[in-house]
Amino acid sequence: MVRGLDDKLFNTFVYIILGLCGLAAVLPILYVVSVSITPFGEVLRNGGFILFPREITFSAYKTLLTESNIPRAFQVTIFITVVGTAVNLVLTALMAYPLSRKNLPGRHLFLLMIVFTLLFSGGIIPTYLIVKSMGLLDSVWAMILPNAVWSFNVLIMKSFFEGLPEELFESARMDGAKEFRILLQIVTPLSVPVLLTVGLFYLVGHWNEFFQAIFYVTDRTLFPLQVVVREILMQSQQPLENAENMMPTQTMQMASVMLASLPVIVIYPFLQKHFTKGMLLGSIKG
Amino acid sequence: MQQSNRVHRTGKRARSWTALLLMTALLAGCAGGNDGSGGAPVNENNTPPQASSTANQKPIKLEIIESGNNLPSPDKDQIKQELDKALNIDLSLTVYPSGDDYSNQLNVRMASGNFPDLFMINRQQLLQFSKQGLLLDLTPYLDQLQQTVDFIGEDSLKKGIVGNNVYAISKSPQVPYNTYFIRKDWLDALGLEVPQTIEELSAVAQAFTTGDPDGNGKPDTLGLTGGKLGAFAPVFGSYGVGMPGNFYEKDGTVVNSLYDPAMREALAFIRDMISTGAVDPELLANSGLQHQEKAIKGQAGIIYIDWPNMTKEQFVEQIQTVNPNAEWIQIEAPEGPAGRYDGAWDIGASPGRYAIPKALEKQPEKLQRVFDLLNYVSDPDGGSMLVQFGVEDVHYTLEGGVPQMTEQSGDVGHSWLYQFTGRPEMDYLQAKFAAQSDYITFAADQPRIEVLDGFIDNPDGFNQADATRYIEEELAKFVYSKRPLDEYDDFLQTLETSMNYSTFVDSAMTQLQELGFGS
Repeated sequence: MVRGLDDKLFNTFVYIILGLCGLAAVLPILYVVSVSITPFGEVLRNGGFILFPREITFSAYKTLLTESNIPRAFQVTIFITVVGTAVNLVLTALMAYPLSRKNLPGRHLFLLMIVFTLLFSGGIIPTYLIVKSMGLLDSVWAMILPNAVWSFNVLIMKSFFEGLPEELFESARMDGAKEFRILLQIVTPLSVPVLLTVGLFYLVGHWNEFFQAIFYVTDRTLFPLQVVVREILMQSQQPLENAENMMPTQTMQMASVMLASLPVIVIYPFLQKHFTKGMLLGSIKG
Repeated sequence: MQQSNRVHRTGKRARSWTALLLMTALLAGCAGGNDGSGGAPVNENNTPPQASSTANQKPIKLEIIESGNNLPSPDKDQIKQELDKALNIDLSLTVYPSGDDYSNQLNVRMASGNFPDLFMINRQQLLQFSKQGLLLDLTPYLDQLQQTVDFIGEDSLKKGIVGNNVYAISKSPQVPYNTYFIRKDWLDALGLEVPQTIEELSAVAQAFTTGDPDGNGKPDTLGLTGGKLGAFAPVFGSYGVGMPGNFYEKDGTVVNSLYDPAMREALAFIRDMISTGAVDPELLANSGLQHQEKAIKGQAGIIYIDWPNMTKEQFVEQIQTVNPNAEWIQIEAPEGPAGRYDGAWDIGASPGRYAIPKALEKQPEKLQRVFDLLNYVSDPDGGSMLVQFGVEDVHYTLEGGVPQMTEQSGDVGHSWLYQFTGRPEMDYLQAKFAAQSDYITFAADQPRIEVLDGFIDNPDGFNQADATRYIEEELAKFVYSKRPLDEYDDFLQTLETSMNYSTFVDSAMTQLQELGFGS
């Protein structure tokens, strides 16, 4: 629709700005990818800065996948991501649905309880005590159950459920459906976008699991990916430690970063269309 | 009407049931993990009496946490397996690569009563936890820890004392690693000699910056780099002062470096050197090992750093990859008005302290195993060799009483994580890092300003972190000519009044006098 000179100028301007923003996002990733596949000697010779690799090696990936704790960490992370997201979605939906029904007795009280947890939390130590007394320490469940429901997502889902036409519920009820059947057969199929959006929130959260693992898990075999990757990235400043350790090269560090973020980068485009739709969920009441 | 009303009501009831169900499901979900996961440490007081009856067959699980890195998983951890075998324990060591993560973990566990059986603590934590009664007083048990006490020595034992009681075991002392390293090939290319005085150091740094020592025709080289003001440690030393804030003995009295008149002169020299442009402009921003990277990449010609980070095979290889002709040599501290001192060395600092929770008192069986472990890794004829070098004839061989590392020694590169009581430092380093032997001796033999900071406990009302930050910021202004040195007295005054520094200095002086320094 470019019409006059003004429009052209405006468009050029917009393209330049957007192009710069795009570059700002792409360059760091490109740098990480390039360094991760360049032999470290080559990286050093170029003063540490490489955007387009001239020599390519996958040895860093090979080492990480065969000799480090990464493969095991992958298993742990995949487990908590899959099981965790499933648990999250089931519980969140089960909580959001009743709350979305305006005739739920004590609805305001329940809502208040939920909003309260958004604003206030028990703090690290009391939470730790609960996790401990539940016997969850040092198990994968410590990374799944303490955050099984995120109240913000309950609110998002609740708003979506509220937007479903009341007539649907009435007719279902007239046909003899009880609440569980309505939830399973009427509400769920209509709520795919919100389930995917909220699911993605949870999924990415689980994939990036770090703090709960650091606090609740001491067994090295249960460390999730991010904890292991961080160990590779952390450069110790203690000469004592550096004397003893083999320092991972920058190539190795970047390769570990790629391994950790690649799955999410791959999943994103497929979920994106739902995601953008879902982001607006609850913003319009109708 | 009535009909629909009833439907409505049942609907309402069902929904409140759903909400209730959800709540129960939440709780059940949490409890469900209980049987699934196992390995739940049971509470303090109800120690099952079965521990003593089955002790002889069943290994006792010991949990240890510390900061560290690169611990392999238990199935590949041969040191753990050997210790387990020798002591009939199931040792579970967890290490945290970042100090912050470690303190968080430790604080949470101390606060929640879920104590590890042995854990690393610093001096501040030692004071705090012992005051709170969380640490086991080891004084009555010292007989049982005789082996450990002999191994670490009297001086190290003192570093674990609060009041009159021993609350922690300090590792045996270490030796300094840092010196200046300089590019010999650059010196040769410019026809310069190794700098012997601080003036020459400054001149060489300038020549490295402007003289194109790498001969590539580009002004892409720097003189001096290092980690923050540490790059100037030997310069401070040459003026006879420690690093900013250090306490040391001078002419028979204890002084704080900030009040040492020579400090101003040192700062003035550093300021002049920085203004020549020969110092890494990112000096104060260098974090981690950025300065080392600059040296390896051939960007800087002088660096103040420890020998492992310059002379280990891994780094030598990297240096050679960048420039096969690169040659780094260690140099003596340059001479200044007060002589040659290669920076400061804290004789009161401990390489690491380990404490046992008081709660372990109630489990004598387990406590005994912790003692056994400490004694075992302190036994020169027993476990000490294991945690230093690995398994004999696998990871090392003894030749004439001197350990020689074998090809397999790489599998136990993490053994130092198990050196809870330290190691005989020089023998250890010489054997384990035979290739770096000369560098190790050189660094260890350099004269240093003996600093006493490690002996000082901070008084109440003094925030060390705040004061350190303020000192760092203001000194940065002085050396970068952002604030004239004439205002040095103002700086001290602000430090004393708003940072409570005089309370700290007074308290430190008293403490050091009580220990017999400065008399």
